[in-house]
Amino acid sequence: MSANILEVRDLQTQFNTLDGVVRAVDGVSFDLARGETLGIVGESGCGKSVTALSILRLIPPETGRIAAGSIKFEGEELTTLGEEEMKRLRGHRISMIFQEPMTSLNPVLTVGTQIAENVVRHMGVPWRAARERACEMLDLVRIADARRRLDEYPHQLSGGMRQRVMIAMALSCDPQVLIADEPTTALDVTIQAQILQLMLELKEKTGTAIVLITHDLGVVAETTERVVVMYAGRKVEEAPVEALFTEPLHPYTRGLMRAIPRLDIEADAAGTRPRLQEIPGLVPRLTQPIPGCAFAPRCGFATGRCAVESPPLLDVGAGHTVACWEVDRVRASAL
Amino acid sequence: MSSQSASERPVLEVEGLVKHFPIHGGLLQRRVGAVKAVDGVSFTIARGETLGLVGESGCGKSTIGKTVLKLVEPTAGRIVLAGEDISSLKPGAMWAHRRRIQTIFQDPYSSMNPRLPSGTIVGEPLENFGLSSGRDTADRVARLFERVGLRPDAMRKYAHEFSGGQRQRLGIAKALSVNPDVIVADEPVSALDVSVQAQVLNLLIDLQEEFRLAYLFISHDLAVMRHISHRIAVMYLGRIVELTDKRSLFMRPLHPYTEALLSAATAPDPKRRRQRKHIVQGDVPSPANPPPGCHFHTRCPYAIADCKVIAPPLIEVAEGHHVACLRRPVGGDPGPLSVSS
Repeated sequence: MSANILEVRDLQTQFNTLDGVVRAVDGVSFDLARGETLGIVGESGCGKSVTALSILRLIPPETGRIAAGSIKFEGEELTTLGEEEMKRLRGHRISMIFQEPMTSLNPVLTVGTQIAENVVRHMGVPWRAARERACEMLDLVRIADARRRLDEYPHQLSGGMRQRVMIAMALSCDPQVLIADEPTTALDVTIQAQILQLMLELKEKTGTAIVLITHDLGVVAETTERVVVMYAGRKVEEAPVEALFTEPLHPYTRGLMRAIPRLDIEADAAGTRPRLQEIPGLVPRLTQPIPGCAFAPRCGFATGRCAVESPPLLDVGAGHTVACWEVDRVRASAL
Repeated sequence: MSSQSASERPVLEVEGLVKHFPIHGGLLQRRVGAVKAVDGVSFTIARGETLGLVGESGCGKSTIGKTVLKLVEPTAGRIVLAGEDISSLKPGAMWAHRRRIQTIFQDPYSSMNPRLPSGTIVGEPLENFGLSSGRDTADRVARLFERVGLRPDAMRKYAHEFSGGQRQRLGIAKALSVNPDVIVADEPVSALDVSVQAQVLNLLIDLQEEFRLAYLFISHDLAVMRHISHRIAVMYLGRIVELTDKRSLFMRPLHPYTEALLSAATAPDPKRRRQRKHIVQGDVPSPANPPPGCHFHTRCPYAIADCKVIAPPLIEVAEGHHVACLRRPVGGDPGPLSVSS
């Protein structure tokens, strides 16, 4: 049995649009170890959500396709798996939760029915047992008065409670992998803290590996063990979470960290407002092939080579890889 | 505040502001109750100052913004803009004052006519208020574009041709065009990616210093708030629970809800992950039916019996530090509270 439950290699996912073919994911590789929490972080359009949808083969076939690459789950190739087999996998061995629970819950079914439905489908148990399981799951995600809540509809629940229901449903069949796409972005901060804490506790209990997709570096820092940073459809850096935050090596990762206002740094004197460091420019359009490094036009370290030659992922040791030609200069510069 | 002379009157004064939205129900759609969105809120903002309003969904922060802009009529209370009471002005009479108070929205796209070139959108307020016309407007719009970091030749482009950050620059240019005293900014950077968010925050700070603008800055993001604000008001279910300069708020939060908010905020530092003191449990109660007494008592680890019946007033417990908590009396110990005495 391999240590990795999920292995993604050179994944390329493309969409046909009126402007041409969008290379949303452009050669991304990463591994997920059993029981691990992996963060995928990046800004809008970097391909992080499309990566998640590709793993679950949820790319709408009318517009998009996995153009190349391999996704292995427990050694089994998912890119060529039949749709029926994929259906047996989704919600059972690989589950997903989304940003807005209201759009993924059925408004006309009670939450108990929705959770039980999944259990009946994948575990082949009778309804009565499935409903018991649903009740157990609501209890597990700490919804008070679980038995009564089984008969409530999604609109009767608060946003935080709906996300708990989504987590209960996702974990109801003991998945090996849980993919969470911006699970707390729509929630208030106090509720976000509750949900993140819950996810980590459940992970300890069930051993489910988590892929946490987010734009929020704070969420990544507090919940993950390893982080993949994406930019314009590519992986630009990967590192254990401490290493990423103490010594980010890609100019984009560094740029992101300097651009965010910080709460945790010693409060400045009242009235002074230090400037945030901007990343100049815009993300590139993904309809044109990018020959060099996608970040080069916005990068202070870029040389002529960066514009024409795509940098390979360089292993700098201790599980830290970075795709940058100028990594020595970046490392030597002050953070 | 360095830019504020002691004698100068605040450019915006809000006193005892109340906004109730009626709830209708039953067969005849009679009034059966009210959502107390804003329930007696007072604050002032000086020229060149940013007051941040922070709180979770449903706390009434956006309603305050809309009421101050007179997009929503206040139920009670006074709004004084540059010395003039605008709280009871009818729309016609309000017109003359609109130029002084402008707004920036979270999603500028929804506030822009998709069929007009961006230059026309930004120039409209100038012509509406008769501040310029024709060639003169075009020149002023071009200067505004440059000031907010857009190329003047982009004036011919339509809103959909801009990125999110550029659209927010358009929104800022439009708000700025009529030379206002106060700008109400409701979550202006929440929809933006962090790299673009930094650009917009820097621009807002530069413009404030250049034009001595007063900002009422509404956000749920504490880090953004701390970056841009001079003073911050923390809201919970329609009331201000704490109001002070940002340094004291972050160094020495006195209200248990502020403490809970700060403790819940994530920080981009993996070493901090186990340092959380406590995570406040439960959900925000419905503003249609808030708990009696202190609204926060249902979630507050320090609540005492009185908190369930007495609504604590917002009082100044230390210089410039206002807090609405029975356990934080004037001159009291600013140290940590003990759980239920």
